[in-house]
Amino acid sequence: MKTSCEHEEVVLRAVHTGQWTDALRRHAAECPDCSQAIELAGALRQQARRADRICNPPDPYWILQRSRRQAREITLRRVGRLMAAMRALAAVYAVAVAAWLLRGYAALPYREVASALPGTSSGYALMGAAVAAACAVAGLWPILRHDAHRAAPGSLRQGPASQPPPRA
Amino acid sequence: MEDARTIAAWATPGPEQTAQTAQTAAGEEGFRQLYEATSRPLWGYLHHATGRPHVADDLLQETFCKFLLHPVPQMDEAQTRSYLFRIATNLLHNRSRSRDDAALEEPADSGTQTDEAARLDVREAMRQLKPRERQLLWLAYVEGMSHAEIAAVTGLGAMSIRILLYRARQKASAILRPQRTEP
Repeated sequence: MKTSCEHEEVVLRAVHTGQWTDALRRHAAECPDCSQAIELAGALRQQARRADRICNPPDPYWILQRSRRQAREITLRRVGRLMAAMRALAAVYAVAVAAWLLRGYAALPYREVASALPGTSSGYALMGAAVAAACAVAGLWPILRHDAHRAAPGSLRQGPASQPPPRA
Repeated sequence: MEDARTIAAWATPGPEQTAQTAQTAAGEEGFRQLYEATSRPLWGYLHHATGRPHVADDLLQETFCKFLLHPVPQMDEAQTRSYLFRIATNLLHNRSRSRDDAALEEPADSGTQTDEAARLDVREAMRQLKPRERQLLWLAYVEGMSHAEIAAVTGLGAMSIRILLYRARQKASAILRPQRTEP
């Protein structure tokens, strides 16, 4: 298989740095591969100079800001994934506990238990259950409302300002 | 040489310097210096590969953002430069996979008639090359990277770089030469 001259890499390095030795210069003049490489390098470097004239890179401040925003978004995504996993676990746990309770308490002789308890104990038990249910509802309500707000189409959170920058 | 020193100053942080401290006040100043030293060559590379200035702008920003988000400690000047070009090359690769960038566009810039003719020659030649060939030619012939450095940047095998570069050069020269010999 035909490949380039073995000195081409050194010749290109010399083109880049401008440090030529006499031997290398002689070789480059005689070698068709290296001559061709020098010619092409000249054309491309001329194009690079033209590109440099029209290059107007953005202020690094905006890049720093953008990278910080991306870092925050990455962190939020990670935390969001963790929260979603916790919610899924909590749901599984709640279902498992409910199934266990239903299975366990289905066999209880309720009439005998209720008749054996004094009136005040039953009242306290009912009051405790009501307070627990109220606390659960009060705790869940803002979370569910927040989720519903985020999921709603046209929500401000889905606007362009909160969207991550386009990914390559 | 000044550029090299600024890259080295940024690229070789102390052991205590982490991703977080990279964006502190001192880190910001270091980043600005690194940006000044490397943004123009990177933009030239991206512009040459895509042919579109606004795409080169976007990819340049994305390259530096990724560099800031995934800093690699203990890099010397050459490694930092190579790392930036590698990020840029990966972004170009991702972009070319997602859409067709074969068509090159270039904005009109000021120059003489001769400059314009030469520019069109090179542009036409580059248009006919594959994106990977354009990248290889630029890295070797403009950035002066060695085959090993190009291999690190592109993720290709070091042994295959020589052959790929040879083919790309032959192709580019074959396209350029007939145009230049015409009266």
